[in-house]
Amino acid sequence: MTAAQGPIADAVRDGTLPGRVWLYSNYHCNLACSYCLTESSPRSERRELTAAQMIAVAEQAKELGFTALGITGGEPFLLPWLPEAVLEMVQHLPLVLLNNGTLFVGERLERAAKLAHPGIALQISLDSHLPDINDMARGPDNFSKVVESVPRLLERGVQVRIATTTAGPLDSPALDPLKALVASWGVPADDHIVRPIVRRGRADERGLGVQAIARDIPSELCITADGAFWGSFGPTVRNGRLDTDLLLTRTILPLAVPANALLAAIGGMPQGADAALGIR
Amino acid sequence: MPRVELLDAETAPLSAQQYFSGGDPGPIVAALATVPELLGPALGFVGPALGAGAVGVRIKEFAILRTSALQGCSYCINAHTTVSLDVGLTGHEVRALRGETALEEAFVLAAERAMIGWIDALAGATGAIPDDVWAEARAHWAEHELVEVAVTVGATMFLNRFATGLQLPTSPQVLERLTAEGLS
Repeated sequence: MTAAQGPIADAVRDGTLPGRVWLYSNYHCNLACSYCLTESSPRSERRELTAAQMIAVAEQAKELGFTALGITGGEPFLLPWLPEAVLEMVQHLPLVLLNNGTLFVGERLERAAKLAHPGIALQISLDSHLPDINDMARGPDNFSKVVESVPRLLERGVQVRIATTTAGPLDSPALDPLKALVASWGVPADDHIVRPIVRRGRADERGLGVQAIARDIPSELCITADGAFWGSFGPTVRNGRLDTDLLLTRTILPLAVPANALLAAIGGMPQGADAALGIR
Repeated sequence: MPRVELLDAETAPLSAQQYFSGGDPGPIVAALATVPELLGPALGFVGPALGAGAVGVRIKEFAILRTSALQGCSYCINAHTTVSLDVGLTGHEVRALRGETALEEAFVLAAERAMIGWIDALAGATGAIPDDVWAEARAHWAEHELVEVAVTVGATMFLNRFATGLQLPTSPQVLERLTAEGLS
């Protein structure tokens, strides 16, 4: 197999451009978390990408020289066609699939089990080892559903990562019991992501999280039904209105259009504080 | 009320922010910025097309104001009434180009009348342009000058339909100026 050629591939290889392309599969969610960047809830406008669009993004990302994919939402597993689309996408690039871990029962669990693949990781959100604290931000019974789902998925051979979003210091000892819980499932420490709340979307309305400007946000290409954005923290929603400050292009396919716009935007942008802030 | 959100310095996309750094860039840029990949190419076309070029600002304003009047674009008529006055057209000439008085009384030079005939044929009609209009224009103007004005008319028609379709608002400053000049 020959390596991808061209300015995007070169930029990914030399580290100018992050290798991962994010896709917001949809904006609606069965939860309504207090710090949600996209104000997602059961009542949110769906704003879905189609399966064909997501597969095309995967195929073209590989051709351009990107190295990985990420899928987020909303809650991606609310889309009935998602597992089959993901299995097609991973034929092109490895991917991480962010989700809230609350829907893996019955038929949905068995459909998710099809995602036992070395190129697919399910990243499930869990914010505290204390059910009340976790559920205060993420909704009733969230903790119990997640701690039931993770072992079920692992038993079925699905790779699981855990993401913890915190308002406190990223290295706080208060997170140690949560880290121990995650380790007890056999999830490696490197697969437990701890990150700050970013003050955009609903978090901004409520005054939560760290302030971040464009150069503080990882410059990953992010594809949504509303267009392409600078970073997965770009297409946020505030008071029902889509933020456009990090919009790159309304065109999402061919992927070279937004990819080149991102590359142009990165040019001349001073180095940001994403690493110092722990935004990922 | 405009039909679309007019972005500002806070909401403008990254690639459009350069257009907002000097203050309010006006409603055309603010509306175009919602599709940022079109902003640069559109302005890259419109800027030179409406600029002085080889024929000069007087003839360019003939083309812009006359086309806007023929297309019924109030935003562009208002804006380019003030621009036309700024580049030296008289109130009488402006009224004539806006269709409010007779062209023959305002413009006595045969070359300018021929150019207005070319503009009217491009912007005020559909279908083929009669040979005699072209011949009269060519009698006074070089090919490249008529090509340039054709581009200006086309760019203006784009702006006319864009501004009219999106109901872009005339700024209060322009409205005040028009009132002061008796051209509102």
